[in-house]
Amino acid sequence: MIDLNNIHVTFNKDTPLETRALRGIDLHVPRNQFLTVIGSNGAGKSTALNVMAGIAPAEQGSLRVGEFDMTDWPVHKRAPYISRVFQDPKMGTCEDLTILENFALAFGRTKPRGFRFAVDPAIRTTVADRLAALKLGLEDRLNDKVGLLSGGQRQAVSLLMATTGETQVLLLDEHTAALDPKTADFVLEITNSIVKELSLTAVMVTHSMAQALHTGDRTIMFHQGRIIFDVSGETRDKMQVEDLLHLFKREQGEELADDSLLLG
Amino acid sequence: MSLYELLGTLETGFVFGLVALGAYLTFKILDFPDLTVEGSFPLGAAVAAAMIVQADWNPWAATGFASLIGFVAGYATAYLNVRFNILHILAGILVAISLYSINLRIMNGPNEPLLNVTTVFSAFEDFGYPGYMINPVFLGVVVIAVKLLLDAFLATGWGMSMRAAGANPAMAEANGINVGNMKLYGVGIANGLTALAGALFAQIFGAADAYMGIGVIIVGLASVIVGMSILPSRTIFLATIACIAGAVLYRLAVAVALNADFLGLRASDVQMVTAGLVALALIIQQSGVSIFKKKNKEADK
Repeated sequence: MIDLNNIHVTFNKDTPLETRALRGIDLHVPRNQFLTVIGSNGAGKSTALNVMAGIAPAEQGSLRVGEFDMTDWPVHKRAPYISRVFQDPKMGTCEDLTILENFALAFGRTKPRGFRFAVDPAIRTTVADRLAALKLGLEDRLNDKVGLLSGGQRQAVSLLMATTGETQVLLLDEHTAALDPKTADFVLEITNSIVKELSLTAVMVTHSMAQALHTGDRTIMFHQGRIIFDVSGETRDKMQVEDLLHLFKREQGEELADDSLLLG
Repeated sequence: MSLYELLGTLETGFVFGLVALGAYLTFKILDFPDLTVEGSFPLGAAVAAAMIVQADWNPWAATGFASLIGFVAGYATAYLNVRFNILHILAGILVAISLYSINLRIMNGPNEPLLNVTTVFSAFEDFGYPGYMINPVFLGVVVIAVKLLLDAFLATGWGMSMRAAGANPAMAEANGINVGNMKLYGVGIANGLTALAGALFAQIFGAADAYMGIGVIIVGLASVIVGMSILPSRTIFLATIACIAGAVLYRLAVAVALNADFLGLRASDVQMVTAGLVALALIIQQSGVSIFKKKNKEADK
């Protein structure tokens, strides 16, 4: 479903600040796979996600999603096929608009927008039904501005918005990192059930090794702009965070120095 | 202040209500501080006047055409910003400056008198009421109609996309909205409204003038700020009412200031009074003092 071929990304090229964020990434994510991506700060995991979303332009290499070569597509053109949940709960929704209006925008991702009113009774019922499944009582607050919701509620709404229409690919950019542990678990739980229910192809970037191993069906780790290991299937099921650390040490011959990867 | 003066103030207040609706669209909805209006207001006046006097057009067609040309001017500003990454304020100044020359070309000189010609206001001469009474009513109807159209537009799929493009561009793009296009059309529409205001203004006062755009940006902005800081503006419907009310109130405030003999102000002091009022409104807004609104800062957080 998603194919990255020899992707290179360099930030601040030809300046003293030049950073080679990705150094030739090859990655194939088959349809219906839930991939988790881990790595320390600056390892390139978010950049890889941004290449898929169209925010970071690839300097070299190509990207295919489904039947399209999307390498040079702008973000908005990719939107009907790829949707995205941001790390910051404020980013995924528009706080001046109501819950319903936000959903109306999200429906526009796969259906053309026009001069008809954005909110109609059909959308209202669909949205109320989907929100009711969250059991947060949001179905009774359809006309509240999203700015009134808590971070966790907003992230749950973003997740539902990202999975309307015929979206095939879901990109999750550390979408639980800004939430408290209990809310993070809740959001992760609904992420899992939605991905399963709609049989999506999902890529989740995370900072937590435990989360990476216990969610989805395959885990890759980035280090200094390369993928240093890729585990799935039975090997992965048996893996604990300690095993991941050993693996890292064996591959790189150095200790992992990022505390935030071990905690949580 | 006499009734005559009051009605005159209402008349200009409603005309500038159109400018205020445009400023609301650019400054508040699109988050695009647009200075093109300094040029598109006289552009609307010049185009309408030239079409009526030189080309002998029907005044309604000339007014509509003027709005369309205003749209093009706004589109040009947004194009410089979107396509070539020129800072929005600078792009607006560039277009406004060039419009100054363009307006002189259109009018073949610094002004174009509209005396003894048919204007859109001529249609109401047979109603049996003097122009100073019927014109404010007509302009009030126009500005309310435009307000309702704008409200409806902002509730459509397109309008909603425009609101998202201004409020959260990253989210808008992720939802498949072409943010650049939204700016092109939004700034275009705002300048179309401003040019419409210019065209009507020229027809009321009997002339289009190359200098009539000076301070329009401040008037539009002042109306939005004054209106929204003293009236509730939770919904689009209320916010657009606040903009129009702001334009009228602002005109009243200026008229009162210029009329107060003890202040010793002259008509030429109008720009200074304007700037002072805007600064005052901004200061009041920041310090959280409001007249009709309850203090709800805590509730917002």
